[in-house]
Amino acid sequence: MTTTTQLDPTTVPSFDVADPAFSITSDEVHAARERSWYATTNYGIAVLRYDEVSRLLKHPKLRQGSVQWPAHNGVTEGPFAEWWASWILNKEGEEHHRLRRLMNPAFSPKLIGGLVPRFQALAAELVDAFERPDHCEFMREFAEPYAARVIAIMLGLPEDEWPIIAREATNIGLAMGVTIQSELPTIEGALERLYAYADALIDDRRANPGDDFVSTLVQATRDSDTLSDQELRDGLVLLIFGGYDTTRNQLGLAMQTFMAHPDQWRLLAERPELGGRAVEEVMRVNPTVRWVTREALEDFTFEGLDIAAGTTVHLFSESAGTDPRVFGEAGFDLTAERKPHFGFGGGAHHCLGHFVARSDMSEALPLLARRLRDPRPAGESTWLPDSGNTGPMTLPIAFTPGA
Amino acid sequence: MKIIVDLNLCQDHGQCAIAAPAVFRMNDDGKLEYEEIAEESRRAEVEEAADVCPVQAILIEG
Ligand code: HEM
Ligand code: SF4
Repeated sequence: MTTTTQLDPTTVPSFDVADPAFSITSDEVHAARERSWYATTNYGIAVLRYDEVSRLLKHPKLRQGSVQWPAHNGVTEGPFAEWWASWILNKEGEEHHRLRRLMNPAFSPKLIGGLVPRFQALAAELVDAFERPDHCEFMREFAEPYAARVIAIMLGLPEDEWPIIAREATNIGLAMGVTIQSELPTIEGALERLYAYADALIDDRRANPGDDFVSTLVQATRDSDTLSDQELRDGLVLLIFGGYDTTRNQLGLAMQTFMAHPDQWRLLAERPELGGRAVEEVMRVNPTVRWVTREALEDFTFEGLDIAAGTTVHLFSESAGTDPRVFGEAGFDLTAERKPHFGFGGGAHHCLGHFVARSDMSEALPLLARRLRDPRPAGESTWLPDSGNTGPMTLPIAFTPGA
Repeated sequence: MKIIVDLNLCQDHGQCAIAAPAVFRMNDDGKLEYEEIAEESRRAEVEEAADVCPVQAILIEG
């Protein structure tokens, strides 16, 4: 235990978050939230309520908490460890700010807005291509090709190469599990192939610059500083990895939530302008990033709790997003005005790709609502553990075809 | 140019302070502080700050 508490320890709940059976959205977690704003975990503390999550997310005494992950799992050198260390997510202070300033223009809402018609066309094309008129495996036939082709559209890669993006991003994702060390050859093979992709893109856009996303990154200048070739390739591979799995999983979770709320799905079909609200409401109650990680930079006291330097702080996004102190007994309602959710994290590391993710999902969901009427589970679905980053592995559904 | 931040929307993410540190900054409590009037020479970075604000709380007048 790295924390000491001044509160009565018998009132502080405790979770084994490393147990694969632990569910971060369970009644146990929600009941704990009613007793205490935090729980202790095997790594440090878990924060359960909206207000405390909101404040700690941006707290000056905390840094993003993922940097030590490979080292904690025995991976301290080699291409993967070097790539991980290069991530903007794992930089702090001026080093982080510099990367963010150089990457910002490529992610501006203006540049992304131009891609919306392509997102719409893509969603329609995928539904048209379903193998059966009234049934689909939602992850394989929609969420995966949609998420991967959105990345291809953004980066200007040939869209028919999407299975490579999906496969290599999934392979790199093995690094997020506790088996990272034994999977290292697969992970580093994927990294090498994505590097080759990124290098070819960078060379091409240097030679033939346009006003697209990669050209904007390649040409980004701030106070006569630019991104080096190494930074560009590391960054592009991070974007492929960071943008694919999250979007895929969030779409699957959206379908899960809407199947449980058929009235809201019908409403979305009638009022496609609620697409943006649908994304926010889904990410409030069913975020794919179930916890956002922080690490204490120095000893400090928060709400009477002493937090020692080095403590891992997990901010539970679903628990905060359904906190009755803020949301009452609110159900799932696209027409309600809500306070912001934490599905994209926050503070200095707030998701850089959120405009893209918001705009592609807010196009996909209303189209799906119109075309896939009365969706319902059709057989066994399979799921990632309900912690960290989650979502369906497979999600077979039946529906009534709509126009 | 005049800068208005809708403090009801602002969530203190501090992205504006990264994009335009001469105009926006986060204080020791992690709260936003900013100049309400900025020099014309800062326009590009202030526009970028407005662009990147995750909740689009920044308005530029003039
Ligand atoms: C539904 C889709 C997505 C979700 C749920 C998501 C979620 C997140 C979260 C939770 C963080 C960490 C924030 C923190 O620690 O406070 C993050 C960071 C980041 N995301 Fe996303 N993301 C999504 C899509 C994307 C896309 C499409 C891209 C790029 C194409 C992207 C690029 C990034 C980058 C570069 C960071 C690191 C930012 C930094 O450290 O400054 N994300 N995202
Ligand atoms: S970026 Fe937006 S939300 Fe964040 S501090 Fe600045 S104005 Fe507030």
